Amino acid sequence: MKPNDILDKIDHQSGMTVPEGYFEDFAQRMAASLPKQPWEDEAASAGQGAKIAPRSFWQKVRPYVYMAAMFAGIWCMMKMFDLMRPSQNVNIGDNAVLAAALGNDAFMTDYYVNDVDDYELLDNLYSEGFQPASLVFN
Amino acid sequence: MDTLPREDQSLVERLRDPSQCRAAFNEVKKLYSQPLYWQIRRMVNDHEDANDLLQNTFLKAWSSIDLFRGDAKLSTWLYKIAINESLTHLERERKRLNVSLDDEASHLIHAIEADTNIDGDELCLKLRKAIAQLPEKQRLVFNMKYYDDMKYEQMSEILGTSVGALKASYHIAVKKIEQYFLDND
Repeated sequence: MKPNDILDKIDHQSGMTVPEGYFEDFAQRMAASLPKQPWEDEAASAGQGAKIAPRSFWQKVRPYVYMAAMFAGIWCMMKMFDLMRPSQNVNIGDNAVLAAALGNDAFMTDYYVNDVDDYELLDNLYSEGFQPASLVFN
Repeated sequence: MDTLPREDQSLVERLRDPSQCRAAFNEVKKLYSQPLYWQIRRMVNDHEDANDLLQNTFLKAWSSIDLFRGDAKLSTWLYKIAINESLTHLERERKRLNVSLDDEASHLIHAIEADTNIDGDELCLKLRKAIAQLPEKQRLVFNMKYYDDMKYEQMSEILGTSVGALKASYHIAVKKIEQYFLDND
């Protein structure tokens, strides 16, 4: 027998039962066990016709507005951290002390332009009367 | 088959009226206690567990009745609570008995065999065992479609799953039941 035949034969019966009078007893038990709601007394004192108001437009959109505000706050915070961080493009001209030092030739000669290349070395040697033939290698 | 009660707009209106809310809620209990009970019972199989879970369902619905403002259907709202209660109970039982999700079928079959509140024949019992083999969500879908004859659209609202996925899930569940009947012929 195929399952569809079986399912048709069973005809949606689960074969489960409940004790006799269960649902009637259940309704009574539940009615007695429902706790009192705080607004029941208010309604009783206010009289009939005090309905729970349907949700207003603001109540419906409020969670989304709060969520958008939260994201905007996070974005502002990130932006603020970004602005507080030192810039990656440091311009020497922005620093007065460095700019003055670099504009001073003596400082540049003494502390900055300290490279001695081959050309400069040979130039000094030749100016002092150096002759390449005088070099003797043992 | 348990058919769902028709949605009564005046009942929803009275639920929103604090002075009539309790009386309206008692009507809700009368209308929905049977379909919700059977939905829960088919998931947990045991009558006592189903009874406790049905009580919890109505107590939770009552405690949050002021949050129900008629945006969703009353039946959808109640079914959601009942299904959450059932799934939470099953998970709690799995943890208590140290049973994995894969071994749950044997635990459920044991509950079916121990069930004394039955009047069905061998075929009904076999179908219950076949359903117990299904994964939790598939079991829910099969029960809602086969026993409650619920529309896929309403199932979609309750379970938060697309209609296409529900149709596929039901189809697969029927195939698995077919295989179970072939294997246990």
